[in-house]
Amino acid sequence: MKRDLISANELTSADLAMYLELAGRVEALPSERKRMLLPGRILMAMFFEPSTRTRLSFEAAMVRLGGNALGFSDIAGTSITKGESFLDTVHTVENYADILVIRHSREGAARVAAEASRLPVINAGDGTNQHPSQTLLDLYTIHKLFGRIAGLRIALVGDLKYSRTVHSLFKALCLYPDVEFTLVSPPSLRMPAYLLPGGSRPQASETVVWTEHRVHETAELRQAVASCDLIYMTRIQKERFPDPVEYARLKGTYRLDAHMLRGAAPTLRILHPLPRVDEIACDVDATPHAAWFEQVANGLIMRQAILLHLLGVEP
Amino acid sequence: MTLDHRVEIIPKIETGIVIDHIPAGLGPRILEVIRSTPGLQGVVVSLGLNFASTRLGVKDMIKVHTGDLPDRVLEHLSLVAPGVTIKRVRDFAVDRSYTLAPPRVLRSLCRCRNPNCLSNHEEGVESRFHAFEIPSDTGELTRYRCAFCERVFSLQELDIMPLESA
Repeated sequence: MKRDLISANELTSADLAMYLELAGRVEALPSERKRMLLPGRILMAMFFEPSTRTRLSFEAAMVRLGGNALGFSDIAGTSITKGESFLDTVHTVENYADILVIRHSREGAARVAAEASRLPVINAGDGTNQHPSQTLLDLYTIHKLFGRIAGLRIALVGDLKYSRTVHSLFKALCLYPDVEFTLVSPPSLRMPAYLLPGGSRPQASETVVWTEHRVHETAELRQAVASCDLIYMTRIQKERFPDPVEYARLKGTYRLDAHMLRGAAPTLRILHPLPRVDEIACDVDATPHAAWFEQVANGLIMRQAILLHLLGVEP
Repeated sequence: MTLDHRVEIIPKIETGIVIDHIPAGLGPRILEVIRSTPGLQGVVVSLGLNFASTRLGVKDMIKVHTGDLPDRVLEHLSLVAPGVTIKRVRDFAVDRSYTLAPPRVLRSLCRCRNPNCLSNHEEGVESRFHAFEIPSDTGELTRYRCAFCERVFSLQELDIMPLESA
């Protein structure tokens, strides 16, 4: 049976542990050994939406494992502009590759492709829904930074309504015991209720305790800086806003700078899925809190692990 | 007039299906579903409205002179009027009776309410929702997750497709 990576919703604790362990083994391999793992295999990057890191890191991951990468990063040069359907495009390009990596502006696109194609499919982002490879690299980074994930106090900050990276990560983090969440967002960009444990948001309460997780919702970032082990910043995503006026009102709501981090615990770490716009000032880069470029480096490793697992190759 | 006498206003059927305990007012909608189903347009159907009911207070009732209702129709009815009673009648006697509940997987029965879900835009993609339970103050509530965009809906929030296009 073929394997896909579509949603954090279907990953189990055992799956997460497997991916973290596999990424650790991949990282330890010498480069020349890695190049012998996927010779002749072809990755098809189908990016119906713009991307820098995700597409390039998947392509680099495949090339460094000895394979090749093809694809498109803009529908302008494809038959989609002639009216070809998404499924016809999938059925066409699956003849040219061994694995599909798909980013699309509509939720559910990767699932539709996975159910239709005989090839393994990786969801590289579907609308505001999921971004599971980002989640796995985030978890790998957190585990490397802290030596554990269970029991951490984690703040998710910014656009919690539309951010697929946050939606995926939150679901996956809920599989680790005793993780304490602080959800920091403007009221109009709160985490959708259907993603909360229990599937709904109790009224008249800022802090909700479920069996294993304490979830605190606030609009105040300073409190998270003072009380958390990890801050996961996100960009207010212009491209997701139906109303540009609403975007203009909310952009720049949160900005972390070195001054704000004065007095923070030395062990506090900050991650960001990137690209950042203005939510983290450049003066934070030089502080020991900054870990987002380490996160980018881990992305390549984790995406190699994902390719190897889905293609059934043991490193 | 007793309750039994009121029910007998609709003649007994020798063979067929009785749809009972229909919340008052929903009877005509169910009749519409039956009459739009290929193979059922010509069958004899009796509809009764506003009978007294010990369970519902007031109810509608439908009797269909047919062997069985197709599974597809029953699935559709389970969304239009969950909780109605289906009674299969043979030789003027009820030989099977059950409460109609929505299936755990809804295939091509509803459209996703998320306008950005690909299932609403791609021809050939069959909509699909999977049931799951969430805790609530009053026990458990059933919710449905779109298999594609993963949004979660209550049964009342789902957009039921007309039977002929489902």
